[in-house]
Amino acid sequence: MQAVEIKNLSYIYSKKTPNEKLALDNIDLSVEEGSFVALIGATGSGKSTLIQHLNGLLVLQNKKRSSVTVNGMSAANKKTLRQLRYQVGMVFQYPEYQLFADTVEKDIAFGPKNMKLSAEEISERVKRAMEVVGLNYAEFAERSPFDLSGGEKRRVAIAGVIAMRPKILVLDEPVAGLDPIGRAELLSLIKKLQKEVSPTVILVSHNMDDVAALADRIIALKDGRIVADGTPKQVFGDRELVADAGLDIPAAARIVDKLAQRGIQLDKTIITMEELKAALLGLLGKTGTEKFQAATLFSDEVNAEERGDGSNSSESDPIERRSSSNENALSIEDGEGGGKDV
Amino acid sequence: MAFVEIKNVSYVYPLREGVSLKAIKNLSLQIEAGEFVALTGMNGSGKSTLAKLLNGLFKPSEGEILVDGISTSDDKRVFDIRKKVGMVFQNPDNQTVATIIEDDVAFGPENIGLPREEIVERVDSALEAVGMSEYRKKQSSKLSGGQKQRVAIAGVLAMRPEVLILDEATSMLDPAGREEVMAVVKKLNAQGITVINITHNMEEAALAKRVVALRKGRLAIDGTPSQVFSSGLLSSCGLALPPAAALAKDLKEQGVDICLATTEDSLVEGLCKLLK
Repeated sequence: MQAVEIKNLSYIYSKKTPNEKLALDNIDLSVEEGSFVALIGATGSGKSTLIQHLNGLLVLQNKKRSSVTVNGMSAANKKTLRQLRYQVGMVFQYPEYQLFADTVEKDIAFGPKNMKLSAEEISERVKRAMEVVGLNYAEFAERSPFDLSGGEKRRVAIAGVIAMRPKILVLDEPVAGLDPIGRAELLSLIKKLQKEVSPTVILVSHNMDDVAALADRIIALKDGRIVADGTPKQVFGDRELVADAGLDIPAAARIVDKLAQRGIQLDKTIITMEELKAALLGLLGKTGTEKFQAATLFSDEVNAEERGDGSNSSESDPIERRSSSNENALSIEDGEGGGKDV
Repeated sequence: MAFVEIKNVSYVYPLREGVSLKAIKNLSLQIEAGEFVALTGMNGSGKSTLAKLLNGLFKPSEGEILVDGISTSDDKRVFDIRKKVGMVFQNPDNQTVATIIEDDVAFGPENIGLPREEIVERVDSALEAVGMSEYRKKQSSKLSGGQKQRVAIAGVLAMRPEVLILDEATSMLDPAGREEVMAVVKKLNAQGITVINITHNMEEAALAKRVVALRKGRLAIDGTPSQVFSSGLLSSCGLALPPAAALAKDLKEQGVDICLATTEDSLVEGLCKLLK
C-alpha cells in the first residue's frame, strides 16, 4: 500500500513578485507503507516545501494538475484534512521551541485532547508516548518542560507528536544541535518508533552517515526536482549520479574515493564505517572480520557512552539507559538547560 | 596576561525557590589573542553558559573573568566587553532585527554611530566574508536557515570584534554551508581574530588549534586536537571521535599498525603506507 502518493506537484513562493521562486518542480513520488525514506538535498532544494504538503500545511497551488494523497486521503479535501493531519506526525527542526504547557504531561496531551479522545485514552497515550521516548512518567510528568535539558525537551516534543499515533512520521533534521550521545540515542529512538508506532518514516537530513545507516530509500532533491531515488547503496555507489546531483557522500565512501585516488581500489558501494573497516581488514590480511557483529554506526557511539559511564553498562537499550540515569534526581550538571533558549 | 583570563569562575542558575544549578564549577582557563579554540562537551556541560559569561551576558557567581584586562563584572565597562567579544548563537531567527539583509548587518555599526562610508564598507566586507553579497537587498524572512545564520555571522563581523564566539552556529547548516562558514572563520582567525567555536561536531573541533572540553561544568581536557583525540578521555565527556579517528582506533585495536588520525586525510595517508 502507498502511504504517500504525490503527482505533478509544483510550488512557487512569492508568485508574481520579484522574489518568485520555484521551490518544487513537477514532483512525482510514491512512498510505500513501512519504508524508511531519507529526503536529502542542499539547503533550498525544496525538502521542507515538499514535507509541508504532506499534511496540508502548504496548500496545492494547482488542484487540477497536482495531487497529494496520504493513506488514500487527498490533502486538498477539507473534509478529511483533520483526519489526515492526525496521520502525519511532523517533527520540525528544533521541536523543543514549540513546547508551551506548564507540565510535560499537559504538553504531550495537547494533540490527543484535540483529537477529542476520552480522558482515559489520553492518559494512556501520554504514558505510552513517554515510555517509548524514554521519559519516566513518575519523574517527568509533573515537571515543567522548560526546566529540562535540551535532549529531554526534544523527547517531550517528539512524545507529543507520537501520542497522536501517526501512521507516517516526518522528521526534519531531528538530531540537529544534539551532542554525540544525544544523537545516537535519538536515531535509535527513531528506528524504535518506526517499529512500534509509525510504520512509515520520512527523515530529512544533511548527515549522509546517518542516512546511509538508517534509510532503506533515498530521495534526493535539487532545485525542486528529484535527482536521485534508490537504496543508499545504489545512490551513493553511483559516483557519477552523486556528482551530477551535487550530493554529499558518507564519510566511508569519501575515504574509499581518497584511497582510490592513491591507487587502492575498494568497493564503491561501501557506505558505512563498519563496511569500510571490514574491507580494510580483509585487504590488510587481518582475519578478524567474522568477529564483527552487524553493529551499526550508532551502537559504536553508544559503546562510547558505556565506556564513559560504566555503572549502567549492563543495559542494552541506550534510551532506557538515559532515562535511568535521569532518575538521579535533578541533575546539577545540566548547566545549559536554563540558558539554551534565552 | 592572556587576552581572556578566566579565574576560578563558578556560575549558579537559580531555578526556582530553593533549587539552583551550578553550571560552571571553579573553572580557570586562559585564551591568548589570536587563538582558535574549539569549546566542546555534551549538552549541559556548561559550554553555552561559559560563552555567555565571556561577553558579560552573565556575571560570574564566584571568581572573575578578564577580557583584554577588563573585568566582565564591571557594569560600567560592559559595552567595551561586548564590542570586543562578538557572539553568534545557534538559532538565527532570534538574531535578526531588520527585514532587509543589508540593514540587518548594518544594525550594529549604526548603533555605535559610525560614519556612513564606514558602515557601507563594513557591511560589504561582512556580507562578502559569509558569501551573501548577492542577497543583500533580499528579505531575511525569505532565506533558508543556513543563509540566515550566515547573515547573523555577518552582523557580528560588521562590529569588527576581537573575539568571535560561535555557539553551535553551524549546527543547522548543511555540509556545504558549514564548510563555507568554517572557511570564513579560519580566514578571520588567520587575520588575527580570536575564535572560540562551541561545537559537538568533532570534525569541526579538529579544525581548531586547541580543543577544550568541559564535563559537568569543569575543565576536562585541554590540548591540541591530536592530543585530545588520543587521550581516551573524550567518551568520559559524552563525546565521540570523528569517524576517521574512530576507524583508525578500531583498526589499531585489531592489530593494524596505524597511527591515530585526526582527519580523513591523515587516515588515508596512514593506510597508503600500509597498503602500498
